[in-house]
Amino acid sequence: MRYVKISPENTYEFLSRLKGMGTLYAPSKISEQFYDFQEVDDVKDVEFDYHRTIRPPRRFFYPVEETMFTFDTHKVELKEKLPRKERVILFGVHNCDIVALRIMDAEFLDEQPDPYYQIRRQNGIIIGLSCMPDEYCFCNVRRIEFVDAGFDLFFHELPDGFLVRVGTVTGHKLIDPNMDLFSEVSKKDVDNISEFERKKADAFKVKGNWDDLRYLLELRMDHPMYEREADKCLGCGNCTLTCPTCRCYDVKDKPSIDGRTGERIRFWDSCQFRTHGLVAGGHNFRETKQDRFYNRYQCKNAYCPETTTAYCVGCGRCTYFCPADIQFRSNLMEIGGYQEVKK
Amino acid sequence: MVTLAECLGDCKPKIGVYALTSCYGCQLMLATVQKILDIAKNVSFESFYMLSSESRMPADVDIAFVEGSVSTEKDLEELMEIRKHSRIVVAMGACAVNGGVQSWSEGEKTCDELHKAVYGDEKIDMKPLQATPIDKHVEVDYYIHGCPPEEDELMYSISTFLFGTFPERVDYPVCAECRLKGNPCILIERGAPCLGPVTTAGCDARCISFDTPCVGCRGPVPFDTAWFDSLAMVFKKKGLSKDYVRDRMRIFGAHEDKLDEMLDKIYGGNE
Repeated sequence: MRYVKISPENTYEFLSRLKGMGTLYAPSKISEQFYDFQEVDDVKDVEFDYHRTIRPPRRFFYPVEETMFTFDTHKVELKEKLPRKERVILFGVHNCDIVALRIMDAEFLDEQPDPYYQIRRQNGIIIGLSCMPDEYCFCNVRRIEFVDAGFDLFFHELPDGFLVRVGTVTGHKLIDPNMDLFSEVSKKDVDNISEFERKKADAFKVKGNWDDLRYLLELRMDHPMYEREADKCLGCGNCTLTCPTCRCYDVKDKPSIDGRTGERIRFWDSCQFRTHGLVAGGHNFRETKQDRFYNRYQCKNAYCPETTTAYCVGCGRCTYFCPADIQFRSNLMEIGGYQEVKK
Repeated sequence: MVTLAECLGDCKPKIGVYALTSCYGCQLMLATVQKILDIAKNVSFESFYMLSSESRMPADVDIAFVEGSVSTEKDLEELMEIRKHSRIVVAMGACAVNGGVQSWSEGEKTCDELHKAVYGDEKIDMKPLQATPIDKHVEVDYYIHGCPPEEDELMYSISTFLFGTFPERVDYPVCAECRLKGNPCILIERGAPCLGPVTTAGCDARCISFDTPCVGCRGPVPFDTAWFDSLAMVFKKKGLSKDYVRDRMRIFGAHEDKLDEMLDKIYGGNE
């Protein structure tokens, strides 16, 4: 792997140059407590120190709603509406979200690739950014606090700039023509990175790994936590819509007023909604709110073979953005019998 | 599900747009959609007083869009006639679907008490009734939420009928749309009394996008999935009183059977 260093001023210059290559999105503060990936207008507005974005990065490759094709029933015609090949650059993606995108890849680019996702993903550039966990983070017990794949570049915070890891050929191509902005990595920089990672490891509220969790969840299916917590649940779907690895969608035909043409759209669905489990004949796989609540706990803790991790990446969004303040991590700890680290 | 499947082709479905007690905002919305001329080309408006003085009441129609709540004897009679002369009845807007703001006294004051408070002993030339949603009286085939419904919802409904299918009812809350839009959550951030989590989606979080908490004008999420109890739990923690929460939830949700039971569960019985 190749490593280079960049100063804070040069980072802004680098971002400006990235802007010239495509549409650049980066974390931006949108209110007192919230951040979101937004198109960068002024590179000085890029937020380097943020905890989590309200909307997950998957939306850049798998939009909230998209038209798959248009149809004409009189002509019996169908026109696929594939996305345009537009360069999208995501800067400031945390390790959890990078693994989350790999999980999305595992689902959308498997043996039967989804062309809509594939075209966007192939034209996407992912630039990672290191972070310090807050009290909602638990990516470490998901074994993903340090990523080794899934990014083109990864920026590690240094006291005087960033150490940049180059992850792909695309990453090299971003660095090579801009070598005037980068310098060599010194021994002190490497020591600083180690120090950063040590501090990061210390900052987590939980330690160890939760690989046994999915078995414990299966073994404790009738745990009283579900009933107690589902009672608080608003069924609003915020946990799944902000989740970086939720993939469920629904499709719907939107006819035009002429009665013969229209478009088929697909849009993000949520297992917290009643219709998610509703099938022909009016039967519902997950009839009650508790059924739906339970489903998310099982689904998020299932095993993704491609990343060898759980589908939950421990980003903390489902708790941070839950209007009912349901604590996903604490609830899992209750079932897994895990303890918080005493300080 | 009643559809117009056999109308596929060149026939023009007959449409009636009717108003009971309401502000006429829903039919104004329908009359002023951008594609109103395209609609008019593809359907035959048998009755739509806002658009044509040649309207009749009642008319034999394939689809009746009914706005307004049943608030007078005359409303009730008209509604019965509409149902008799229409293959499909669509409740259009908050009054028809949920009873509207005029239902605020439901279960609190009788119609006579209300009348006395407003008119004293004066007589009026109609017989008032306690305001109710239209499905308390007749079978309703489809529902379009909103005060008023959004343009794309009206277009979607009419288009699906013309296509030979039917409009799917929205059954998830404004809260979800708000998050997808990328709005910061004002309920989490500053404890705003936002009804987004229990209100039917479709407005693309219109008010919250302007930093105004949802007042629930689109009515509670249908199919018993409006969790007033869970939301009351949140509001209670944020220090909102039962009276305040109940009043707010009743502005557009006074006819929700489970509302009081759910609030009592969290706040206890009478305060």
